Amino acid sequence: MALFQYIVGRFVSYFVVLFIGLTITFFLPRLMPSDPIEQYIFELQSQAGQTMSPDEMANLRETLSQIYGLDGSLVSQYLGYLERVILHFDFGPSFASFPAPVIGFIVRALPWTLGLLVTTTLIAWTIGNLIGLRAGYHHNSRAATVMEVVGVALYPIPYYIVALVLIMVFGYLLSIFPLTTTIRPGPLTFAKMRVILYNSVLPALSIIVVGLGWNILSMKALSFAHKEEGYVTFARLKGTPSRTIMNSYVGRNSLLPQITGLTLSLGAIFSGALLIEILFSYPGMGLLMRTAASSGDYNMLYGTILVTIFAVATATLVLDLIYPVFDPRIRYR
Amino acid sequence: MIRLNNIVATYTTTRGEVSAVDGVNLEIPTGKIIGIAGESGCGKSTLLKVIYGDLIYPLALKTGSVQYGFDSFGQEVTTSDIKEYWFKRISYIPQSSMSSLNPVIRINKQFTDHLDPSTDKAKVLEDVRAYVQKLDLPPEAIDAYPHQLSGGMRQRIMVAMGTFFNPDIILADEPTTALDVVVQKGILLLLMGLQEETKSTIFFVSHDMGVHYQITHKMLIMYAAKVVEFGDSDIIFTEPLHPYTRMLIESLPTIGDDHLRTGVSGRPPSLWEDLTGCRFAPRCPLATELCQTTEPEFKEYRRGHFAACHYAENTYQSSEIAILYDHHPQNQSPE
Ligand SMILES: Nc1ncnc2c1ncn2[C@@H]1O[C@H](COP(=O)(O)OP(=O)(O)OP(=O)(O)O)[C@@H](O)[C@H]1O
Ligand SMILES: [Mg+2]
Repeated sequence: MALFQYIVGRFVSYFVVLFIGLTITFFLPRLMPSDPIEQYIFELQSQAGQTMSPDEMANLRETLSQIYGLDGSLVSQYLGYLERVILHFDFGPSFASFPAPVIGFIVRALPWTLGLLVTTTLIAWTIGNLIGLRAGYHHNSRAATVMEVVGVALYPIPYYIVALVLIMVFGYLLSIFPLTTTIRPGPLTFAKMRVILYNSVLPALSIIVVGLGWNILSMKALSFAHKEEGYVTFARLKGTPSRTIMNSYVGRNSLLPQITGLTLSLGAIFSGALLIEILFSYPGMGLLMRTAASSGDYNMLYGTILVTIFAVATATLVLDLIYPVFDPRIRYR
Repeated sequence: MIRLNNIVATYTTTRGEVSAVDGVNLEIPTGKIIGIAGESGCGKSTLLKVIYGDLIYPLALKTGSVQYGFDSFGQEVTTSDIKEYWFKRISYIPQSSMSSLNPVIRINKQFTDHLDPSTDKAKVLEDVRAYVQKLDLPPEAIDAYPHQLSGGMRQRIMVAMGTFFNPDIILADEPTTALDVVVQKGILLLLMGLQEETKSTIFFVSHDMGVHYQITHKMLIMYAAKVVEFGDSDIIFTEPLHPYTRMLIESLPTIGDDHLRTGVSGRPPSLWEDLTGCRFAPRCPLATELCQTTEPEFKEYRRGHFAACHYAENTYQSSEIAILYDHHPQNQSPE
């Protein structure tokens, strides 16, 4: 029963977050001082170098208003927006590549970002926890000190510095890996997968290196604290083997805050990954977002923001739903 | 016979070393419940740690050893190899069951994770299920997670863990202080019953002299890192040899007694001070010049009754004892 309540609670907060995200992305552009339609017409005029008749202008304005869902009252706009986004995943056409729909670009970019993020986050989290647990559990050993120093050194470095250093060393000086991502479109063959992997090494490494520092440090601190718990002392006095104590007692208990920590830092990981994509010209959501922002492509920008909110919220939900597997206090009451 | 041979145990601190158990020399008969009493900080837990062989930094055994009174391969087991017998021949019941159980794994796993990997754990758990029923626990309690059980049930689980493997020696450091009185009584009766059956030796630490009176066979009184008195409980509670023991007993409230208990006034000396003479002398109403300068020897005054007091032989006749005797629960009409 407690588990059921927990799950329902998670879903409720998931939908509340999505709804708030939807609402903000609806109102934000409408509160902006610049009018996207006027701006578009202005750009069109300056590009074409010709002036339109007032009639033509009014016509164009109306058509654009319809296409971008800017006609009618605010309430009817809002309802129409909710219907389009929720039921049809329709974020409207791209301004910059009119009339191609925004969703097409997102569908193409999303797998890149998700692939990069899921693998790197899992790798950094797993390795960081394995190292951190050992460093905390054997905190007197020299290896633990070395590991802590590594963590302390890596942790405060921002993503982009790590990325730039990696680009400098491996891309520029050693020329082992490419400076930017170049992947030709085409069917997913084995050879293409290799190219993708090869191109993803440096972006992935940047995210892993930063994530690793954080994971090592927090897991070390948690393990070190949990080592002093009464149940660890009692297990030792029972004669439980040290390995079992480290894994089932210290490790299992330290993992719970680490899962919560991962959930909480998902947003930061996502924004970090977006930066990395821009630096490596990696064809994911980050690059899409930046291009949209610089070209004033509002539909694209808000579409990518919405999908990002959706992705982070869903990942959080998944982690929240996994959490009871590790914590029996939520499973059983 | 369990022998404590001249035990000096020290803690290493930033200020230097401090002896929390300072020269304990004692032969303890097996098959009894041995109560250990004394004020906070006198070294009760430290003595238990030494007996258990849990000598990890900052605690170290400066001198001495423990002989456990049982053999392995023809050799008597001593401090140096007692670790191998943890939860086989010597076990330990901790104070708080809540903090001593891992919250995220099932009790059945915690019951067996110290066993040799070759053991048939399913078979052991089968026996455990039968065993815990004897302890008034439902057999499925061992399949639960700790938070699913009540405090009393958890403490019974701790007792079950400590006794199931049928150890020769059981150490219990205030095993019931965290529980309410009714539950506490149940646990104590349980411990007594199990001891009666298995004839194991239980070292039982408690601040509660009433509990000591009810369940122990022998009493060991500690004061400032030293054992000051040791003997049969019924004698200790009626005719203590050491004035400190007498003060401890006097602090015991009795039913139907309306005059305020005096308790033990003053504080024990810091172990960092220069401790010459009798350590209890500053608080002792009977202290003389001799007590200030010369440490009393811990010796046998009557058969099996030891004390460390220069005036052990005359104190037990004092009139205060007579008053105390009148108030003793044993001499009152039954509750
Ligand atoms: N880890 C430690 N480091 C340094 N000194 C310690 C440590 N543990 C205990 N001591 C000191 O050793 C002395 C004896 O402590 P011990 O825990 O054995 O007392 P105790 O009789 O069990 O007290 P209590 O009744 O409060 O449990 C105390 O003076 C205490 O300050
Ligand atoms: Mg203690």
